[in-house]
Amino acid sequence: MHRTRSQLAMAAVAVALGLLVVVQLRAQAGNAGLAQLSTQDLTVLVANLNARNDQLRREVSSLEDELATLNQNRARGEESLDELRADLRRVRAYAGLDPVGGPGVTIFISGPIDGSGVEELINELRNAGAEAIGVGDVRIVTGVVVTGARGAAAIAEAPLGEVFELSAIGAPDKLTGSLTRSGGVIAQLAATQPDVSVTVTPVDRIELPATTRTLVPAHGHPRL
Amino acid sequence: MTLKWLRSIPSWQITLGAALLVLGFLIAAQLGSEGPRVRYTTQERTPLLETATELQAQQDELKARILELREDIQAVEGQGAGSADLVRSLNAQLEEARIAAGLIPLTGTGIVLQLDDSQALVPPGTSQADYLVGSHDIRSAVEELWVAGAEAIAINGERVTPTTAIIDIGSSLLVNSAYLAPPYQVTALGPTDLYDRLSRSPGFIDFVRARAEAYGIRLSFAEPESVDMPAFAGTVTLRYSRPLASPSATPAGATSGSPEG
Repeated sequence: MHRTRSQLAMAAVAVALGLLVVVQLRAQAGNAGLAQLSTQDLTVLVANLNARNDQLRREVSSLEDELATLNQNRARGEESLDELRADLRRVRAYAGLDPVGGPGVTIFISGPIDGSGVEELINELRNAGAEAIGVGDVRIVTGVVVTGARGAAAIAEAPLGEVFELSAIGAPDKLTGSLTRSGGVIAQLAATQPDVSVTVTPVDRIELPATTRTLVPAHGHPRL
Repeated sequence: MTLKWLRSIPSWQITLGAALLVLGFLIAAQLGSEGPRVRYTTQERTPLLETATELQAQQDELKARILELREDIQAVEGQGAGSADLVRSLNAQLEEARIAAGLIPLTGTGIVLQLDDSQALVPPGTSQADYLVGSHDIRSAVEELWVAGAEAIAINGERVTPTTAIIDIGSSLLVNSAYLAPPYQVTALGPTDLYDRLSRSPGFIDFVRARAEAYGIRLSFAEPESVDMPAFAGTVTLRYSRPLASPSATPAGATSGSPEG
């Protein structure tokens, strides 16, 4: 009797101990990343996640429609050539394999900017939702990098010179606002490279060429 | 006298006593760690943290769903019968375009570059941010890898595509709007001499000097037999861009200025 009571007490303490250890470890491990963000950063994160999730939801519903159409056609014994062509056109435009046109911005740059300054502008354009970006006859796709010291910026090893234009397709107001906001990328460039002038102009229509690069990796194959 | 007294206590009581002592410490630790959060509850912080966590979980689900739907679509498209030649040719073009766009997971030769925050003590009067891996570091690493001949890149499982932005959020990163925390693993698919090319690149040598040597940013490499490149789980639907009639799509009579669709 005495022994059973002591064993029960031990068991109860062991259970409580186990629970607390787990809770404590979880509290330290789980979300350690998010918990360290300031309230302001959290607000930015929530805005970003909201916008992205809306975009992903639209993609899910368009893929669901596409799959439904493909299945219907198959059930009727019909081919889905239109769907295949539409899919091909969409993916090729995204990857930069076909020329594209649409509204956006042109960024006029003059002065001895360096490669990383141009990369900052490109990154901010992407962050603001740019769908396609180009400089002159070069489409900026994966693998295309602007390099070089101040006054020697070059894209894919071709010198850009000290006066050139960067063009991007996307929502003109959003792209312009994002680039020119106070403390934004252009303000930072003005502080670090004061002899470079950067002007953003919203435009109704720009056209960007297809890339001339081979985008299919030679050193990889599809993983099944 | 004391020893005798101790011996008279049953051993289970000693064990229980020790366990209770640990329990007490844990309760104290738990309460202590909850202190700051309790203080935030009255402000807007806790709901924000909960919203962000929930949105992250939603994002993960949506991404998984996109990958699943793409696989299903590909499977149905691949089964297309009928005028087999045309369908087969379109499917082959689609596969190539999807690989080019980063929509298909790949495996091949390559390297993994890992970047982690410095463990050096931050001297007073200097900026702590210099000792942390920031978006600028990851962008430099990605750019150097492209220059060295990388053919596909992913950061902690997020595939780098033509629309990928890498930005700071606190001392962490957003890549494709996914929240990533250090250590960052930059996986690059490329030629077998990718590491040699990277380590010889003047830009990369400068980067190592400026970040690893000056601030103790921890850089390490792995050269596994093969690297796995994840597929991009995001949108490829362009809302503002329209494809122009390209020479490959419409060979006859197309002018580059006329929009299609």
